[in-house]
Amino acid sequence: MAFRKSIRSRRGRKKIHKDFELQLTSMMDILVIILVFLLKSYSTSTNSFSSVPGIKLPISKSQEMPPDSLHLIVTPEAIMFETQRVVEFVQTADALNGGQPTYAFKTEDIDEGGMRITRLYDALNSAREKAEALRAKSPARDANGNPLPFDGILAIQADKRVKYDTLRKVMYTAGAAQFRVFRLLAMKQEQ
Amino acid sequence: MLKRPSSRRRSNHAEVTLNLVPMLDALVTMISFLMYTMAFLSLTMIESPLPMVSSEENVQQLKERPLQLTITVNEKDLLIWSPFDLIPQTTIPNKEDQSPDLLKLHETLIGIKQKYPTETKLILVPKGSTSYDLIVSVIDAAKNLDKTDPVISVKNEKTGVEEQSKYLFGEVVFGNLLGGDE
Repeated sequence: MAFRKSIRSRRGRKKIHKDFELQLTSMMDILVIILVFLLKSYSTSTNSFSSVPGIKLPISKSQEMPPDSLHLIVTPEAIMFETQRVVEFVQTADALNGGQPTYAFKTEDIDEGGMRITRLYDALNSAREKAEALRAKSPARDANGNPLPFDGILAIQADKRVKYDTLRKVMYTAGAAQFRVFRLLAMKQEQ
Repeated sequence: MLKRPSSRRRSNHAEVTLNLVPMLDALVTMISFLMYTMAFLSLTMIESPLPMVSSEENVQQLKERPLQLTITVNEKDLLIWSPFDLIPQTTIPNKEDQSPDLLKLHETLIGIKQKYPTETKLILVPKGSTSYDLIVSVIDAAKNLDKTDPVISVKNEKTGVEEQSKYLFGEVVFGNLLGGDE
């Protein structure tokens, strides 16, 4: 019985012709459409800013593209500088369960009357020294033949719920580490 | 001589089939590259320099008193003022839903800009409890000109030609960054 069934099923199978060719034209159409869409929406900016999960950026009408620079992210849990977790905020049970984050610093992490974040200052200072050393080695010179000065630009990406008190401490610390220009990053509002 | 009926349909040229496989390979590679390098995060920026501390002597030496347009973001209102009282102090109370009246702020600032078209600086003084979201909204209202706003012309000092101002008050500085008012 099983033998007969097997023969029937063999007979029922359609033979694949040797000259069978996969129709690629429709696939090509789809790929070309995707390619055109990607090229149209391709951003020519050279920045490599990335975000982290759990952070909601504010929306801004500004249309200025942020050029590449040193990058700091204020997340509900910590402050990250160049993808390195530098300072962690005080975590409460409510914040850990998805409630309002505290954005409060540990006492040992701040000095200068509660304005300067020590670990962040060390990280920023180290980054500045590195940048200055690179510029000293670079052949690019100013009119007097001196190495180009440190640009001191810091891009800050923060959750929209962050209070100014926290941002002020971050910017104060960056100012102490000779960062002179802050670029507050936001999501671009569609026009 | 006529061809045989059986050979009429035969052609010397075989049916040409375009080999799409290499093209497909190239397309897939290009799409992969674009998707890998594409910035899906559409970011924008608001630039703000670190404020410079000036002594009282420096201020007294100034020939002309600067406007130093300042916006204080309070919990219940927005306060527009100038330390040298060049403009009347204006208080913009929050709307009924307790959100700041950014439209009114924008309109008031347009009036000030029309009076002082060359002024570009704005000092922002938020409270410690002000959210980043609100700071960005206030800067947006104070910095950018909308398409529906009246045209503000500024004389270009280099060329002497009247040019349309792109920004309302383009340079935003945090006034209390280095300490001072909460």
